[in-house]
Amino acid sequence: MGGIKQICGKELARVFKDVKMMFSVFFLPVIIMIAVMSLVSNMSLKAEQDVEEHVPVLYVENAPDGFDGFLKQAEIAYTLYPVEDREMVKESILNGDADLWIEFPANFQEAVSDYQTGDEVVQVKTYYNPSEEYSRAAYNMISTGVLEMYRQKLLAQRVDDMQKLTVFTVNSDNPDMVIQDEQKAGGKVLGTMLPYFVTILLFAGAMGIGTDMVAGEKERGTMASLLVSPIKRSSIVLGKVFALMIISGVSSVVYVAAMVIFMPQMLGGSSGEDLGISLTLGAGQIAMLAALLVAIAFLYSAVIVLVSVFAKTVKEASSYVMPMYMLVLVLGITTMFTTSTPKDWFYMIPVYNTSLALQGILTQEVTGVQYGMTLGVTLALGAVLIGVIAKAFESEKVMAI
Amino acid sequence: MIEIRNLTKIYKLNKKQMKESKTTNPLKTAVDDLSLRAVPGEIYGLLGPNGAGKTTTLRCISTIIRPTKGEIYVAGHEVQKEPEQVREKIGFLTGDIKLDPQFSVDYMFDFFGKLHHVPQDKLRARKEELFDYFEIRDFAHKKIKELSTGMGQKAAIAVCLVHDPDIVIFDEPTNGLDVVTARGVTDYLKKLKNEGKLVIISTHIMSEAEKICDRIGVIIDGQKVAEGRLHEILQETGTGDLEDAFFELYRERKGEAL
Ligand SMILES: Nc1ncnc2c1ncn2[C@@H]1O[C@H](COP(=O)(O)OP(=O)(O)OP(=O)(O)O)[C@@H](O)[C@H]1O
Ligand SMILES: [Mg+2]
Repeated sequence: MGGIKQICGKELARVFKDVKMMFSVFFLPVIIMIAVMSLVSNMSLKAEQDVEEHVPVLYVENAPDGFDGFLKQAEIAYTLYPVEDREMVKESILNGDADLWIEFPANFQEAVSDYQTGDEVVQVKTYYNPSEEYSRAAYNMISTGVLEMYRQKLLAQRVDDMQKLTVFTVNSDNPDMVIQDEQKAGGKVLGTMLPYFVTILLFAGAMGIGTDMVAGEKERGTMASLLVSPIKRSSIVLGKVFALMIISGVSSVVYVAAMVIFMPQMLGGSSGEDLGISLTLGAGQIAMLAALLVAIAFLYSAVIVLVSVFAKTVKEASSYVMPMYMLVLVLGITTMFTTSTPKDWFYMIPVYNTSLALQGILTQEVTGVQYGMTLGVTLALGAVLIGVIAKAFESEKVMAI
Repeated sequence: MIEIRNLTKIYKLNKKQMKESKTTNPLKTAVDDLSLRAVPGEIYGLLGPNGAGKTTTLRCISTIIRPTKGEIYVAGHEVQKEPEQVREKIGFLTGDIKLDPQFSVDYMFDFFGKLHHVPQDKLRARKEELFDYFEIRDFAHKKIKELSTGMGQKAAIAVCLVHDPDIVIFDEPTNGLDVVTARGVTDYLKKLKNEGKLVIISTHIMSEAEKICDRIGVIIDGQKVAEGRLHEILQETGTGDLEDAFFELYRERKGEAL
């Protein structure tokens, strides 16, 4: 099979000897990804901080004696206004000037202190605007938190033995409540994300280059010079597919490395460890992953080359590749959201099985048979496609010469 | 040796092509039952008007396209049965085969040298000779896309001769070249002939055919209408120069419609 090495070498030289090309294939997408992710997480972090620092504006109607004191004691920052005009308060909540309106009934204090068994229980009403961040935060903190504490306080004045009313608590002092295999948990989180990213990156990395490699070469009229060389059509095909595999492999390694390194920035300062994820891969797992990734790169490269062979121009090729890309995306997403254990025959479905297997390796749930099936199906399909491409190379019509 | 036996090439036109050539017939016979023989040590010229089928014939010889009917033997190998062996023996140059614009002449030369299994030391010697002859040194490290038409043509010629082929097939070798460069190319073709190689070219330039071809085959509408040495063709048509002879043959073939 002479010539494969030379063809592959030339395609690699096209990318790796060209600084502009290197930049646009490997670095630009990474830079954009990191910039966008950091920007998004920073902005959401900023927004969160802003909400935390905001001093809630409260309107309290018929505030009972000591309520103000209670709030102070609870160390809650707030500005408090009495309610004079209910319509005006409603208006301010609606337009975001006020955050929460607490309505104590006029007879609140008497009703609480003079309570007799069988009396109607008084009701405190709060009003807020869920489409305002500040208002929602004030509601969460005060309506469900602070007022509950206030209730407990008043309750303590009424009954002597609070313990008697509590009956039991749930997990009030139980630091060991989480029982899980750290390794598997890490795998679970990573396992849902990684197959998705890896499949996308492998495909996306190969897409632009692959269409240029075949359709571009046809468009420029340079393909024929290869066709008069004393090498087999299949060697040309394999040379190009291998080059594409290497390029997409390198680009996905760059992407994944960048993701891991810049994870803290992208998550706005919290790293994997802060999130309670730790992941260490065993040697066996790494070998399985590597073999599978190579197989996936092979299949995707073959798909992209196949599609490009039938296109006359790069533009046409790109429009043919798009649906394939969508398919890969969708199949990747489905594994992200499947919770049930995959059936054995799922591992016979090309592309989908690779996502399953990637996930399975990380969570250590894939069996040898399933893994072997995935690898076999992927490689076999890739080989069939190579055969089809080589056949297409023989056709004058397809090669447009 | 090149031996063409009853070559017929019929293109299947797609809708766009049919519209372009204003025809409803989806089949286009480009070469029609053509036979010829060219031997080592000669320059054989295919002479014919536009669309006569010259390029098509040369492409069939070069295994780029397949004959619809007939056989072609190149150095004893049949083009459809042993295409790789045929490609091993030939150097093929045509205007619509281009070198990769992103690479330098030097890189392309080495690349095709390796594809043709040229050993390293031989490759160096070939480069020395061809780059000198075609004065490529000055732009050997420029990218193909930065070259002028003439430079590009020179580079293409050098690259297609990298493996020192016994059979050289050039489709309109001087197309787009100035007289000086064109003379350089035709002189080189003569040199190849004198080294005992077989050169087959296509052209519609009468003076070129007269000057450099040992034998000429005149093709009109895919059929060979005359063949022989220049004086034989002149004798046959009773004319004084090739241009007159060509018009005579053209008139015979197409009727008085000229
Ligand atoms: N790929 C193709 N598909 C369809 N028809 C074609 C194709 N290539 C050539 N033809 C047709 O076949 C005929 C012969 O073309 P060819 O290129 O062999 O002529 P030629 O003698 O080289 O002409 P020229 O002097 O203009 O280069 C023409 O009518 C041309 O339109
Ligand atoms: Mg032509």
